[in-house]
Amino acid sequence: MLEGGGGREGADKARDEFFNEAQELVDGLGRDLLALDAALKKEGQFDAELINDVFRGVHTLKGLSGLFGATRMAGLSHQLEDALDDLRLGRIELTAAVLDLLFQAVSLYTRLLTAEKGELPEPAQEVEELLSVLGQVSARRAGASVGTVAQYDLDPGLFGVLTEYEEHRLRTTIQQGLHLHRIRVRFSLATIDSALDELKAAVRPHGEIITYLPTGSGTDAETIDLEILMASAEAPDRLRAAIQGPNVSIDEVPRRASASARPSLLAPRPAEARVPGEFGPVPPGPSASAAADRGRAASLAVEPQNPAGAASSMGLSRAAVPRAAAAGEMSLRSITQTVRVDIRKLDRLMTIVGELAIVKTAIAKLSDQARTRAIGPRELAHELQRLNRTFDRHLAQMQGGILEVRMVPLGQAFDKLARIVRQISREHAREVRLVVTGAETEIDKLIVEELSDPLMHMIRNAIDHGIESREDRLRVGKPPIGTIALNAFQKANHVVIEVEDDGAGMDPTALAAAAVRRGVVSAEEAEAMTSREVMALVFMPGFTTKEVVTDLSGRGVGLDVVKTNIAKLGGVVDIASDVGIGTKMTITLPITLAIINVLLVEIGGRLFAIPLANVDEAIALDETHVRAIESREVLSVRGASLPIARLQRLFGMQRPRVSHQRAFVVIAQVADRRLGLVVDELVGQRDIVIKPLGKSLAGTRGFAGATELGDQRVALVIDVAALIEEVLASAETRRLAQIENEESSRRHPALRRA
Amino acid sequence: MSQGLKSRKDRRATRRTDDAGKRSEYLAFGLAGETYAVPIAHVAEILRPPPITEVPRAPSTVCGVISVRGRLVTVVDLRRRMHLADAPVDRKARILLADVGSGEQVGLLVDEVHQVWRLSAAEIEPAQVLGGDQPAHIAGIGRPADARGRILILLDLRPIVEAP
Repeated sequence: MLEGGGGREGADKARDEFFNEAQELVDGLGRDLLALDAALKKEGQFDAELINDVFRGVHTLKGLSGLFGATRMAGLSHQLEDALDDLRLGRIELTAAVLDLLFQAVSLYTRLLTAEKGELPEPAQEVEELLSVLGQVSARRAGASVGTVAQYDLDPGLFGVLTEYEEHRLRTTIQQGLHLHRIRVRFSLATIDSALDELKAAVRPHGEIITYLPTGSGTDAETIDLEILMASAEAPDRLRAAIQGPNVSIDEVPRRASASARPSLLAPRPAEARVPGEFGPVPPGPSASAAADRGRAASLAVEPQNPAGAASSMGLSRAAVPRAAAAGEMSLRSITQTVRVDIRKLDRLMTIVGELAIVKTAIAKLSDQARTRAIGPRELAHELQRLNRTFDRHLAQMQGGILEVRMVPLGQAFDKLARIVRQISREHAREVRLVVTGAETEIDKLIVEELSDPLMHMIRNAIDHGIESREDRLRVGKPPIGTIALNAFQKANHVVIEVEDDGAGMDPTALAAAAVRRGVVSAEEAEAMTSREVMALVFMPGFTTKEVVTDLSGRGVGLDVVKTNIAKLGGVVDIASDVGIGTKMTITLPITLAIINVLLVEIGGRLFAIPLANVDEAIALDETHVRAIESREVLSVRGASLPIARLQRLFGMQRPRVSHQRAFVVIAQVADRRLGLVVDELVGQRDIVIKPLGKSLAGTRGFAGATELGDQRVALVIDVAALIEEVLASAETRRLAQIENEESSRRHPALRRA
Repeated sequence: MSQGLKSRKDRRATRRTDDAGKRSEYLAFGLAGETYAVPIAHVAEILRPPPITEVPRAPSTVCGVISVRGRLVTVVDLRRRMHLADAPVDRKARILLADVGSGEQVGLLVDEVHQVWRLSAAEIEPAQVLGGDQPAHIAGIGRPADARGRILILLDLRPIVEAP
């Protein structure tokens, strides 16, 4: 057989790397923008370093996409870079509307990446629209302020060596009312690199470094004196305490008494007067001259958080801002499936592999001895047992180690959700705050990926159906800004994620009425339902209470998809709601999909595995307690009725020649539905690695996959959720079981279950 | 290798290519007394059948799943797929691991594996010679010149892998 050329394989690998790296960069951009947004909302100002981070991210993306011929992405990055440069240099203001554009760019990047993979058409038009809007923004550069700097007693020569960016930062920090400090430090030339980094780290919590200037007055050839200009809100004494060192002196730069009398040092500075010295080439910029034209102290403070106002002040109409993506085609799923691993974790695994190799050598030696009969059978058995124990221990360590490698913090999914919350709440003028706890909770990487979209639907639902408008909230005495809490925590072998809103809650009566109107249930059925059952109706396909369909939700797609997707991961969704107080949806998920604990059972002479997560208990089947109701079998267990399914019959397997004396019932449960699975034998528990069945068996229902049992044999893993769905599918069966329930509890009042 | 040997071999290869144009390799195997052959490029591996785990509710042509070095592979009984009589699996039976680039490898259970044939275009008759309505998986008839009149039923594995 011919092998494919190594070249193509190499190119594919490089492409994969490209996708991985680009995805990480885009995720990083999203995080930085959120931090910017939060800072802007909270303090009205932001850390300039954040803008620099975004700028660097976009710059790297530009290079990367250029390298891989992703021209549209490179074009977008180029224009973004320009806009970010303007932001960095204060030529344009960072307003909420500008942030909107940046957020849109992030979601466009994701769609472009998906398009590069050939999974979707390129969002060419959206990119063009965003590019033209970005162009408008850059053209609208505001003039920067001058004059204030002159209040400080600074060497006029200083301004000749500042870059445009440093100059801008100097101006901004002064406008924020910060004090300027001059730090003189003597460095030894041998250690200047590390010493400077230490100093930067020490300074960072207290203020911002504007520039470093060599003083040229080093005492000898081994040392160099630097003058550092920093802006800080703190007094010199406190700074001196924080930034200590043998060769450090800190002085505040005094303000001049008659500042306004002096002419501005900055304004008349012509471009050619700049010294492109050791600070790198100075970018040519119109800001200085523009500033001179205006001569006014324009404020760099940020606009208030009024979405509509912010957009119009940018001169952009709502319509001009391209929408990131239609709600329907949006997905938060990453396009890559890579896990970053701490090298130390891999080292540990490597050590275990080493231990396993030792066991292997011992086995080889032992089998040699056994072949040449150099060892007696008793001794051989003893040695084998010992080796088996060692092997078991190392294998368990290996398993644990690999599981650990697969685990990633839920924060990976939550970060993206924060972006969505911001977008939705701005588009729909609902004020919403997302409070996240437990983002560090770890879960299998595969689950995190599959979780993003269901969580997004739940949050959309909470904003559209839950959180009321500002006016309504004030009327009932709630805080004007709604809160959505996203809580995650580990509970035994499960991870629980709660999405809780403090909105209007759901009225069971209204829900039931809507369900009847939509024909999801009949009026009689609705009548007979408990309020918990009514709540569960929101997960039915086609269910919605909204009369008006918005692009958020209301089309009746969403929550049923959420339920299906969560069920695919072996999890369940629950809902609880109080009218006027809020709604809480709870997802319970297994920590990992990779290794699961199963109960091995025998059916018709073959082995099957049932995930223990779905097993309540296993009991012996007493045929005298089985009653047939319209071809369905129901077993009475401790006074309650349990529908049962004889798996051998359900699977259409032929009876074995030897019939079993006594069968067993494995009581399986998914969410609040229970089903007894009748099996021939209980074999035991085991940890297994579950593998999917191939595409060719996609049409075969009832199995979640299969696992290897050692000795080359394979056992099928039963998909309990699918079987329960299949057996209890019809409402009729459900009702039968219910009636049975009531009857039996009437007969045995003492055994009634709480 | 000596120069003489090499040049003789080269000459022979050239002559054969001139005679018959491009040659392709087919793996021949037995099934209910007939000889079938598939492009060898579509066979990733030939396995001795391990224990096969039946999958209840699977299509009747599927005999079950096996694990090939940790990967689950669906095994199709090629006799049943071709509507031939069932027969017990014996020592000569093999599983061909078919890979047609669809992303999934499928095992094909056959009675025995024979040999590899190199067929030129002239040695292949199109499926139409068998009459109009041939199933999609019949690709043609191979008549190797040196097979003393034996024929190979050439199969296209794609339809079999896609719809077992």
